[in-house]
Amino acid sequence: MNQQIASILKSVSKPGRYSGGEYGETVKDKGNIKCRWAFCFPDTYEIGMSNLGVRILYGALNREEDVWCERVYAPWVDMEEKMRAGKIPLWAHESGDAVSDFDVVAFTLQYEMCYTNVLMMLDLAGIPLTAAERGEDDPIIIGGGPCAYNAEPLADFFDVFSIGEGEEALVEFARLYIEMKENGTYTRSAFLHAAAKLPGFYVPSLYTVTYRDDGTVEAYTPVYDDIPAKVTKRIIADMDKAYFPEQVVMPYIETVQDRIMLEVYRGCIRGCRFCQAGMIYRPVREKTPEVLDKQARDLFACTGYDEISLTSLSISDYTELEELTDRLLSWTEGETVNLALPSLRVDSFTKALMERISTVRTGSLTFAPEAGTQRLRDVINKNVLEEDLMRAVKVAFEAGKTQVKLYFMMGLPTETNEDLAGIAELAEKVVEVYYANPNRNKGKHPQVTISVACFIPKPFTPFQWEAQDTMEMLKEKQAYLSSCIKNRHVRYNYHDARTSHIEAVLARGDRRLGAALLEACRRGFHFDAWEEHFDYDRWMALFADCGIDPAFYANRAWGLDEVLPWEIIDCGVKREFFLRERERAYAGSTTPNCRQACSACGANQLGGERTCCPKCKA
Amino acid sequence: MLSKMQGLTPIDPPRTVRIRFRKVGKLQYISHLDLQRTMQHCIKRSGIPAWYTKGFNPHYKLVFALPLPVGAESECELLDLRIDREISDAEILRRFNETVTDELRGLEAYTPTTKFADIAWAEYAVTLTGTAVTDGMAAEAERILTTSPLMMVKRSKSGEREVDLVPMIRSVRAEGGAGELTLRLVLSAAGADYLNPELVVTALRERLWAGVEHPDTLSWRILREQVYCADGQTTFR
Repeated sequence: MNQQIASILKSVSKPGRYSGGEYGETVKDKGNIKCRWAFCFPDTYEIGMSNLGVRILYGALNREEDVWCERVYAPWVDMEEKMRAGKIPLWAHESGDAVSDFDVVAFTLQYEMCYTNVLMMLDLAGIPLTAAERGEDDPIIIGGGPCAYNAEPLADFFDVFSIGEGEEALVEFARLYIEMKENGTYTRSAFLHAAAKLPGFYVPSLYTVTYRDDGTVEAYTPVYDDIPAKVTKRIIADMDKAYFPEQVVMPYIETVQDRIMLEVYRGCIRGCRFCQAGMIYRPVREKTPEVLDKQARDLFACTGYDEISLTSLSISDYTELEELTDRLLSWTEGETVNLALPSLRVDSFTKALMERISTVRTGSLTFAPEAGTQRLRDVINKNVLEEDLMRAVKVAFEAGKTQVKLYFMMGLPTETNEDLAGIAELAEKVVEVYYANPNRNKGKHPQVTISVACFIPKPFTPFQWEAQDTMEMLKEKQAYLSSCIKNRHVRYNYHDARTSHIEAVLARGDRRLGAALLEACRRGFHFDAWEEHFDYDRWMALFADCGIDPAFYANRAWGLDEVLPWEIIDCGVKREFFLRERERAYAGSTTPNCRQACSACGANQLGGERTCCPKCKA
Repeated sequence: MLSKMQGLTPIDPPRTVRIRFRKVGKLQYISHLDLQRTMQHCIKRSGIPAWYTKGFNPHYKLVFALPLPVGAESECELLDLRIDREISDAEILRRFNETVTDELRGLEAYTPTTKFADIAWAEYAVTLTGTAVTDGMAAEAERILTTSPLMMVKRSKSGEREVDLVPMIRSVRAEGGAGELTLRLVLSAAGADYLNPELVVTALRERLWAGVEHPDTLSWRILREQVYCADGQTTFR
């Protein structure tokens, strides 16, 4: 770390965010390195360090002897100011070297509202913002993560995107880079052309987009014949054999996830129609309990964490949950390590399960019915019955809990006032369940918190064509729901509809939004995922100044025959399936989960071991 | 780590072990609160048979002497923990050092005969570097830090108050010339009279370089080197 950075660290908040030097970090001898990666997380250290995907990829890349992957996080606003004042370029955590000196600069794109931070970080690094401006000596800028499934708004700024799971793909990418550097065939354009032929890599500059007069996309045309017309996402076929870190970087400062995160399986069998994660991570692929137990033991030995969180989209759907928890509990209790299961489904929440887990300790349980009436829950294919919820909260209350959190969405397709009133009714029924328990602690009262997010139509979901409710509609609905809540034991929280609106614009955006993001960077936008830095009016002024109509992206019902900007990507799940699911949604009929029956989404064509797809290719 | 504890004989009641460790380099930016949390994980992965509180939320009982301010380094941080199985002090130190980086390395482990409350003084080496440091500043710094009253606002649990620092400074030795100034300070470390070395540096900066803020022209390093008992001579162990 140079003297200038050291001096600045004494005058910023939480300097431990920037100092590095953690136990478990990878430091290599630069002399032996042929490809230096700067892995950037476009949010704070505390959030970035908690991301399991980054931890995995950091380890997978550093397993390559001649590759050195370092970490970079977005400097908080006070640090950004000092860096700009002192003309200090963005540096990487491990070496302290300037990010602009790296071979590859990678960004993980976890949520749309971090896009402005991506540009802020490129700007701080002194790297030309657009791919077109970059020269032979500039790093290759690569993006990945869930937002890469529709990264069109960022297409101008990235040289390449990695689509799907990166453990194997990024290593191949690094190897290609090293190979071309060594055999003298490397030029920026030759490398990107070659990368576009690697499975799972999308080089946006190699596809021309044309638009129709009505503003919709006409076509994506590859500029070379030898690159794919659509980029198919990558998956890890056998999760037991996938790279999993045996040593993780231990942050000194408190992060969001200060615990062992054990990824049990990928994908989700459920198929909720609003949920992008449930679609893009298909097919379901499980790890075996033996492998998971070993990974948990290894992670405990190298971290000393006192909690293991079993992370997956819907943990109770894991086929061998009992076997896994038995194995883990056989040693975790003696080591005073707790097990935590996030994201429980109400239909799987039993007394036996609750006794196994320690989320019990935290005093509050969270369930996600998502909609207030059975009709609407059927529309979104959230196969949860009111009885299931009532049974689950009864178990919780009988075990002495008093607090229950319920997650809902507002603005879902076909929603009426009746559905909104249903949210309030459901919460009140939960309160009644509490008082119906004869053994309740008479001195205590329940608290039911309902947290209501705004529906955002996301690419690669059956609802990808839907219109988002306008701000006025959402505000009216929020007010209506508020008026329905009479019970003083029910507390109502709602998400800011304004953020959801911008998120919807970016989620379904095309390349023309690049101009607005570039201008946002010039105007100093940053940390838009943080309420205190998000300014809706500034965003609307930005769109107006750039000639962009946000309603075109967010509030329009997209035509079923339209070319969608994200269809340059093949996520495995087919358009026909999304269309079928959309029809079933409007007919109010549910679709069985992947374990009950195959609905031919298409993802099984990607292969995979220990999937639940009966007709898997592999 | 139960596997590392197999074969160790339980002892009841637990005995206390003191670890002296350093906190230097990048670790100077870690707050005392974060250090406490970090140590919980370090001890847990180390396999040191530390005694657990048996409450609702089991944790190790770790007691630290003299919290170090953020931005200061130290060669004499002290940590007391209780051990409930028989293990040598040398083995404790070895296990401790397997779980930390060199910047947090354990220097010795021993059975203490003193209480942290006996600590009265701490010695610091403070180095100020940069083009702002000019000839003759050593004598001037000594004069400033020994001339009462040297009024500064001191923050404590009970709030802010203006105090004279000079009675809390046992000795000052300054040397160096243009470019670098080194101060050897023995400051009070006794309870409410604890004097934060950063406050002394601020007092000096305000008087030697009123208005200078640019990091290029002045930077400083604070290193706690030793702690002493009430006589100011006997090294606290």
